[in-house]
Amino acid sequence: MSALPFHRRPGPRLAFRYVLATLLVIVFVFPVYWLFSISFKTPDEIFAFPPVWYPASIQFSNYRVLFKDGDAWTVWNSLVLASVSTVFAMILGTIAAYSLVRFKTGGENLAVWIISQRMMPPVAIVFPIFLLYVYLGWVDTFHGLIILYTAFSLPYVIWMMRGYIEDIPLELEESALVDGCTRWEVLWKVVLPMARSGLFATAVFTFIFAWNDFLFALVLTRTEVTTYTVQVTHYFGGQSNFWAKIAAMSVLGTIPVFFTVAIMQRYLVRGISMGAVKG
Amino acid sequence: MTAAVHPDRNFKYWLVAPAIFLLLLIGLFPLIYSLVVSFMRIDMMDTDTSFAGLYNYANLFKDARLWWSLAHTLLITAIALPVELLLGLAMAYLFLERMPGRQLFVALLVLPTIISPIVAGATWRLLFDNRYGPINQIVSFFAGERMDLLWTINPNLVYPAIIFCEIWQWTPFMFLILLAALSNVDKSQLEAAEIDGARFWRSFRYIVVPAIWPVMAIAILIRGLDLFRIFDIIWALTQGGPGTMTETISIYAYVQGFKQFETSYTAAIAFLVIAILTVVCTWAIRRMGLAK
Amino acid sequence: MSDLKITNLHKHYGAFHAVKGINLEVPSGEFTVLVGPSGCGKSTLLRTIAGLEEASEGSVEIGGRDVTYARPRDRDIAMVFQNYALYPYLNVKDNIAFGLRARKFAEPEVEKRVARAAEMLGIGHLLQRFPRELSGGQRQRVAIGRAIVRDAILYLFDEPLSNLDAQLRDDMRVEIKRLHRELGRTMVYVTHDQIEAMTLADRIVLLRDGIIEQQGAPLDLFERPENRFVAGFLGSPKMNFVKATVKGKTVALADGTALPLPQQSKAKSGQAVLVGIRPQYIALAGPRAAAGHARVPVVIELVQPTGSRVHVTLPLGGTSIVADLAAHDVSKPGEKTHIDIDMTRAIVIDPATERVI
Repeated sequence: MSALPFHRRPGPRLAFRYVLATLLVIVFVFPVYWLFSISFKTPDEIFAFPPVWYPASIQFSNYRVLFKDGDAWTVWNSLVLASVSTVFAMILGTIAAYSLVRFKTGGENLAVWIISQRMMPPVAIVFPIFLLYVYLGWVDTFHGLIILYTAFSLPYVIWMMRGYIEDIPLELEESALVDGCTRWEVLWKVVLPMARSGLFATAVFTFIFAWNDFLFALVLTRTEVTTYTVQVTHYFGGQSNFWAKIAAMSVLGTIPVFFTVAIMQRYLVRGISMGAVKG
Repeated sequence: MTAAVHPDRNFKYWLVAPAIFLLLLIGLFPLIYSLVVSFMRIDMMDTDTSFAGLYNYANLFKDARLWWSLAHTLLITAIALPVELLLGLAMAYLFLERMPGRQLFVALLVLPTIISPIVAGATWRLLFDNRYGPINQIVSFFAGERMDLLWTINPNLVYPAIIFCEIWQWTPFMFLILLAALSNVDKSQLEAAEIDGARFWRSFRYIVVPAIWPVMAIAILIRGLDLFRIFDIIWALTQGGPGTMTETISIYAYVQGFKQFETSYTAAIAFLVIAILTVVCTWAIRRMGLAK
Repeated sequence: MSDLKITNLHKHYGAFHAVKGINLEVPSGEFTVLVGPSGCGKSTLLRTIAGLEEASEGSVEIGGRDVTYARPRDRDIAMVFQNYALYPYLNVKDNIAFGLRARKFAEPEVEKRVARAAEMLGIGHLLQRFPRELSGGQRQRVAIGRAIVRDAILYLFDEPLSNLDAQLRDDMRVEIKRLHRELGRTMVYVTHDQIEAMTLADRIVLLRDGIIEQQGAPLDLFERPENRFVAGFLGSPKMNFVKATVKGKTVALADGTALPLPQQSKAKSGQAVLVGIRPQYIALAGPRAAAGHARVPVVIELVQPTGSRVHVTLPLGGTSIVADLAAHDVSKPGEKTHIDIDMTRAIVIDPATERVI
């Protein structure tokens, strides 16, 4: 049965829906296609007029240059920063969320304060953070950005994990306590397995937040830990001769996220809506 | 009472302590620092740490560029947010009923949302190129004559360009959330309404909207906040130009802080931003019925 | 020796006083049932024994050791929960073994014990299944299995049967009773179901509003309730209460019917009282009334067959009472007949204090 109003005569309507769906896909996917296609084009193809809509042959020389120059390492930097900070944020955020849910630590006030941190615009804190990092000598270091990303993701992780942990029946934990587990063991053997899908979904978004970051990386890195997002902008040189590099770098930085999302997609809807959609 | 204490009493504090420490370091420290510094007169030339009163805050009101940057931010938000919402809703309706291949369509449509905003901006930079980009080709095809539009330079076209890119990237986000919300609407209510003879708009207005409102409100709030601090896409497309025409509040604060090194003044701007956000968020959360 | 000793236990939740000074001793090997209406504090009491709630005041001793401030894991208890509390990501075997492994038992020992427990409960063939693949009754067996693999001093049951349908509940009741006999362990069992309490318990502890109303052997409470609440709570159908006035060796009902005053009652002549008569102690009049029985003419009002028995509503002394009669004795509504009331088993209650006098 149809779910919502307006449904009659399925035949023509279904055809109409397919036409519309296809148009939408063309509009939304074409830019991504264009980016990928440029990355495989030769300079002649890129700067052909009128533009060529697809490369004559898939060739990887644009990527080869990035690897030869070492620019591709910035993807590795992004990967390290995003992964490590995700792991930290998940650990610290999950145990904090558990405390907020199970023991009502700090009451509603602490929870509200934490989520309000999520509203904080990066640009309002990036300048003092920069000065603090200069003072601490943390500019252009991995640990500096990892700490920053971890902290910046914490409100989201705590907020999401709070929702998932609330859904775990208290009895399961109590039963484990009686059966001989310590509090830590309950967390490890009951809460984490029960919140598994929530952990995955939250981790994916935490990873993407850090992965996508541009402003913090722009301000807080120089040469050592340049992220791929910053590297992409290094090719915005006014002249168009870096186009191949922009495209290839962008593709390199996009593929890991594509794979992550593809593998985890069934967990993700609740994460994207900050828990507003359950399931 | 005995002096004995339950052994796990401090466990809950150990759990939150590291998270709170980090949040204080990264969240609270900058606020306090900004607050203090905003009452001084520190800039690139001058490291005067004496109390300057409301000097910087007074300057905020005289700074036309600041208010223009706020206006630019609001302009982008005011157009992009409703379009994303309505388009996302329409798309969600389109894919609500099952159809073969639906999963594939949805997966493809979500692509723009999962690429980094800076890459989204870069992509559109390539698309918008007046000579080698495909957009002008397509426009020319429909116009029937050769068009040579300077999307990222022409004052009449920069906003459409930015807003287009923004809508392209984030409509799928709205779409995905609203699709999930619509799928959760209680079907028996709709069937009852249909039996009662309610038309599409009536059941949409009185059943669907109330049912998806909590989700929609959160989506609007998240997107609204993101749009208010929009930075990456503009940085990639125009860097605030031509001139300061597309400078948003985030871009302006960045320029003041990292190009002009107006330490104290940047701190004052940060506080203005936080004040605006606090007021707007509190109002929105109350107004949208999100507060418990 | 007592395996559980509770002294002056109080539990506050903010302003709410859930448990108000409970003293209780449970001897080794006894099956004790905590029963009472919802909100009486029975579950809170059980959870405080388990250490899942902190006592606000008073002490808990298990196996002669003060555990008031001990963690649940250090109390040497096992517990069965209402919603089974099975871990959905573990199969039956790992669920049952969970507690043993948490306590670092050697794996051969774990295997041996799990096998034995599974055999006792008849779930040996389910060991590789996951909880979602089990029926409600099977889940409950697994939950019980998880408790009995452990060598605990004290076994706690928190309304373990309340999620099962009626037929299964009867079966599981028998099962639990059998387990108790075979294991000979000390068990404390919470339920709101008085039939469960009556059938399972060596001793019933009847609670209301956070205090113990009465405790003792099930038949003791049934036959010799100390107050109106206890009398009314146990037994099905419920005890009938009829207003009356004591006149010498009789009690006179509102309509003038005089019934013999039960011998054990110390009610004084002229006192207004409530007479409590169990539906089971009313019968259709036989050839002649036995000693202490009262023969009363009645008109049958309503008949509710329940199978072998039938519940008959009759007017008596200005109110309606229910009699629990054998099905084949029954007549139709409107029929006039006589009943015999066994007044030796009736109780007399002071309406002011609600105590049995």
